[in-house]
Amino acid sequence: MNHLPQGWGRPRDDVYGAYDASYLQNSGPNQHTQQPVVTGTSVVALKFKEGVVIAADNLASYGSLARFTDVKRLRTFADAAVVGFGGDVSDMQYLDRLLTSLDTEEAYGTTGHTLNAHNLHTYLSKVFYKRRSEFNPLWNQVLVAGVDQEKKPFLASADLLGTTFSAPSLATGFGAHLAQPILRTLAPDEEAAAGLSKEQAVEAIKECMKVLFYRDARSMDKYSIAVVTKDGIDLRENEKLEAQSWAFAEKIRGYGTQVN
Amino acid sequence: MTSIGTGYDLTNSVFSPDGRNFQVEYAVKAVENGGTSIGIRCKDGVVLAVEKVITSKLLKPGANKRIATIDRHMGAVSSGLIPDGRHFVSRAREEAASWRKVYKTPITTSDLANRMGGYLQAYTLYSSVRPFGITAIVGGWDSERELPVDGQVGSGPSIGAGGKVEGKKYGGPGLYMIEPSGLYWGYYGAATGKGRQTAKAELEKLDLAAGKLSLEDGVKEAAKIIYIAHDDNKDKEFELEMTWISGLDGPTKGRHEEVPKDILEEAERLAKKALEGDDDEEEIKEEDKPAEGDKMEE
Amino acid sequence: MEFGTTGMLNEDGIHVDMERLKKGEVNLGTSIMAINFKDGVILGADSRTTTGAYIANRVTDKLTQVHDTIWCCRSGSAADTQAVADIVHYQLGMYGVMNGRQPTTQTAAAMFQELCYENKDRLSAGLIIAGWDERHGGQVYSIPLGGSLHKQSYAIGGSGSTYIYGYCDANWREGMNEEEAVNFVKGSLQEAIKWDGSSGGVIRMVVLTQKGADRHLYLPDSNYAVRHQ
Repeated sequence: MNHLPQGWGRPRDDVYGAYDASYLQNSGPNQHTQQPVVTGTSVVALKFKEGVVIAADNLASYGSLARFTDVKRLRTFADAAVVGFGGDVSDMQYLDRLLTSLDTEEAYGTTGHTLNAHNLHTYLSKVFYKRRSEFNPLWNQVLVAGVDQEKKPFLASADLLGTTFSAPSLATGFGAHLAQPILRTLAPDEEAAAGLSKEQAVEAIKECMKVLFYRDARSMDKYSIAVVTKDGIDLRENEKLEAQSWAFAEKIRGYGTQVN
Repeated sequence: MTSIGTGYDLTNSVFSPDGRNFQVEYAVKAVENGGTSIGIRCKDGVVLAVEKVITSKLLKPGANKRIATIDRHMGAVSSGLIPDGRHFVSRAREEAASWRKVYKTPITTSDLANRMGGYLQAYTLYSSVRPFGITAIVGGWDSERELPVDGQVGSGPSIGAGGKVEGKKYGGPGLYMIEPSGLYWGYYGAATGKGRQTAKAELEKLDLAAGKLSLEDGVKEAAKIIYIAHDDNKDKEFELEMTWISGLDGPTKGRHEEVPKDILEEAERLAKKALEGDDDEEEIKEEDKPAEGDKMEE
Repeated sequence: MEFGTTGMLNEDGIHVDMERLKKGEVNLGTSIMAINFKDGVILGADSRTTTGAYIANRVTDKLTQVHDTIWCCRSGSAADTQAVADIVHYQLGMYGVMNGRQPTTQTAAAMFQELCYENKDRLSAGLIIAGWDERHGGQVYSIPLGGSLHKQSYAIGGSGSTYIYGYCDANWREGMNEEEAVNFVKGSLQEAIKWDGSSGGVIRMVVLTQKGADRHLYLPDSNYAVRHQ
């Protein structure tokens, strides 16, 4: 063994060759999270006359493994807004705690709650942008649903880069491809969305969750759905997809010309 | 032994030969001049109340709050130097937030009192600082139910966890009073400030240790006690400020909030009525006097 | 964790992969689990530690005590998970002393999560925290790679767990008695050991109840049938 302290704990040079200590240098760039690990899939939401409907399934995937099946991805903020989280679950939990502390600080004032969904969305987008600027993004895409300062329905998205977007209907992840076209036919613009009843909006969102279950390999049939209006939040966290269509499989035989 | 002229009172952290820290005792004097603050630990919640002496007619009524929220389930009120009270609140909020960050659960009332007791005590140890000129009353509600770890997802067995020890109760109301020395005790009813003696006498009548007083009645009693305690200080106008914290099933759902306006006004009306009642009795006595007065007729 | 084919067997007979000295040099390619049952929780684990295909330790104890009745199962890098467990062990000890009351399983879970989340880009640690306390009874928390925290009725982890998702889902029942629960853990781990090359050796268990911690040991040469401890 090499008696010099510099050599202790190191593989012997005469056996292994010179030790490659390059990884000990930190002159290179700092590396942070480059990928999400435990993830949630789409969040979908639609405005209607008095408020917003938002939904996300209860699955947290680990790669293709459906690892956790009881993960509630809709989080309420002080009876004022619902945040739907897609992407990394650990970062969702971090943001959840951050929003709890924000809520606590809001309660310091004596006027009651002052933050509405609009304020909350601005706050979240700034948090996302700050973290991406530190090259340490929070790996999420979120939808914020609620009502704004004028008690009008509010819906907007924010993502890991700090990008924000607002529309009468929004969907993250796979939902952007599969649910958004359905929702847009129903509510192409704000006027159309303002003409929708709560029942119509809920039905459309449920239909989207069904389509996503059919076609998103990282989805499941248990989901959470919330209706936010100026009167408060109605959150249901253990809904099951209903009226699925599978029986037509019976008519499918072979993959082309086969008849039996 | 008096403190004056001995020199032992000129700097903080110095003992007098008979073992007193005069700077701390002077801080207590500052507290004794402040508006009365009280806290009542009821069976289903805690009430905090303060006699806010109006120092100027130019101050907006209802503004300049004296009771502060420490965390969502906890509030504090103090008598003495108001800026010292503000700093106390600011530090208490930091302690509560830091507890949440480390343990991902709300701080209990006793743990907060412990942290703040330690903080105030440290201000008796150094010549570069002075003791806090306040006595603070901290009231809170520790969740009687099991809480999730902040941010956690999932919920465990649908039938509940196995192996719990049955028949034990957890959480509930907490009330602590912290003095300039850093000394703190837990109380059923706490009072400090100018009217503390009167207020304590009234609190003792409530038999709070029996744990029978409801939060709703506690609010009324608190208002009454502040009004009675103010009676000795009648020349000055005052405002009553009151907050409460109920259990999760109660009116504030475990949160520290202002007592709603209608309930506060009702409590004040009853308080005034009770006081007037006392006056009426006195007046009746005075009406009785004419009988004696007859004798005095010349 | 994947292993390269580089490296050599040196004269001590220890496999040292020069390119893997940093990344998970000793890997707990593992089968671990913890379950809730009627009186508390049971933790279980195999005993294999591998360095590539070489079994560096065939009688490893992956069940680590961090407080009287709060334990954890470790998977991932042995060095990382030991370091994290040591830190939490210290913090929980301090909690008890400073606050004059015992920490709960939640306290431990919160501490583990903070370490795993804030250092996610430096750690490879998959942990299961299980404990018993008076107020909450038995509780099981899972902290997978990214540092998220999941409360579960039972949790499985490590490379071997992927082979037993079906077995566990089919055989799981809530509120089992101790014997049933031990058999569930044993049955699950036997399957994991059977199908996962990175799991093997003995089955260790710890039963956590109001009575404290009780260790179990089952050996492969008696087909895990006899309790040896």
